[in-house]
Amino acid sequence: MILNLPKRSFAIFVICLAFLVCGGFAYSYYSPGSPAGFVNDFTQTLSQEQKQNLESKLFNFEKETSNEIAVAIIPNMKGDYIENFADKLFEEWGIGKEDKDNGVLILIAKEDREMRIEVGYGLEGALTDSQAYWIIQNVTRPAFQAEDYYAGIDGAADKIIAATKGEYVPSESPKNRNGFKVDFDLIWFGLFFLVWMSSIFARSKSWWAGGVVGLIIGIILIFFTSWLIGLIAALFLTPLGFLLDYFVSKNYQNRKSSGRPPSWWAGGFGGSHRGGFGGGGFGGFGGGSSGGGGSSGRW
Amino acid sequence: MNKKSWIILIAIVAIVAIYLASYYNSFISKDQAVQSQWAQVENQFQRRFDLIPNLVNAVQGILTQEQQIFGDLAEARTRYAGAQGVSDRVNAANEVERALGRLLVIMENYPQLRSSENIQSLQADLAGTENRIAVERGRFNEKTQDYNNAIKRFPGNLMAGIFGFGEKLYFESASGAEKAPEVKLDQ
Repeated sequence: MILNLPKRSFAIFVICLAFLVCGGFAYSYYSPGSPAGFVNDFTQTLSQEQKQNLESKLFNFEKETSNEIAVAIIPNMKGDYIENFADKLFEEWGIGKEDKDNGVLILIAKEDREMRIEVGYGLEGALTDSQAYWIIQNVTRPAFQAEDYYAGIDGAADKIIAATKGEYVPSESPKNRNGFKVDFDLIWFGLFFLVWMSSIFARSKSWWAGGVVGLIIGIILIFFTSWLIGLIAALFLTPLGFLLDYFVSKNYQNRKSSGRPPSWWAGGFGGSHRGGFGGGGFGGFGGGSSGGGGSSGRW
Repeated sequence: MNKKSWIILIAIVAIVAIYLASYYNSFISKDQAVQSQWAQVENQFQRRFDLIPNLVNAVQGILTQEQQIFGDLAEARTRYAGAQGVSDRVNAANEVERALGRLLVIMENYPQLRSSENIQSLQADLAGTENRIAVERGRFNEKTQDYNNAIKRFPGNLMAGIFGFGEKLYFESASGAEKAPEVKLDQ
């Protein structure tokens, strides 16, 4: 079937509008990619050896103090402000430990000739904005002007390490950041609901009401989550409800206790969790956040 | 109606009640998120106010010709202190921001300020604070949007009506305030 003209032009209009609305948001942050380590050079500015040196320095510092210093060298910001870009990148990578927010990001936009030291909430006291400013003015800027990027970054890293050294010590048992977070309220509620429903089903003469309730729960899940999950739940819960009802009804009729039903709705939904990235040696940053502290500079 | 139908009816009512309660809870937590984010914004306002006297003291002796701006700043601060409610506070804070922006522009015209390390540090702190305000304000607006979406979308709008949750205002910044003021005292 072919759309007639007014319909089609309306569709085009809507699509254009959608693009306009999406493009209308003020900033143009783009993700430069996942971090492969503490040092992330997306411009091939640093040599392999320089990168290794920096990486092991920052790796050891993290081992020693749990503070995470990330370096990102990007080609350009595609028109974004460095403050906004740094904040969004910090948020995406989650630099610093989640409970301490002890991360620092050294962001260098090479073609824009702008840089920023963005400080996480937890280190704002140790590395103040004016300290960050002087690091940029006295260490990084002169080195960058002389095209010696490694010296600038390395010098800045040393200064940041010196400033934040005493701030934190690593906790004895590092928390498992990918740990499955279980919502206990939901489990208790689920258990209570299950027992309650079972007793109703058992007392009722029907052997099928459980299936109906399973179906209803599935439909409700469609509202809460998505069509797919709801549909699967409905398909899954309906026969289970039948089974449960049949089982408990029989049980009840046999004058036994209403019994402990098999758990067919156990398990919690994971709490919303910040995306960690797995794989290959570097386990990702700890999920810390920043509130826009730090300083920016040009060279 | 027989017993069986009653039981089914009760089960349906119970499920609907749970459904409503979960909506109510989600409104509450979104509302709390907006409020705690607002507290973060106010923290940063306070930080800005704490920095202003330091900056004023450092430059007042040199900017003797510019008493007007210091008066404006002081007045804007007083107005903020007396402001009640989010929208009044936002307006007063924007006024402080404009006055501060003017002061920074004026300072650029005085070369003798450029050589002072103290003033450069103060300006870096101030720029950092302005950026923090911009960041926290952006997050405040995100949380507000999240809340407003929840109470305005179907079927949330029906529940919001029942429970009495109203729309929240966004924090409109002073124009041009998205960008933190730059420290332009290049040596």
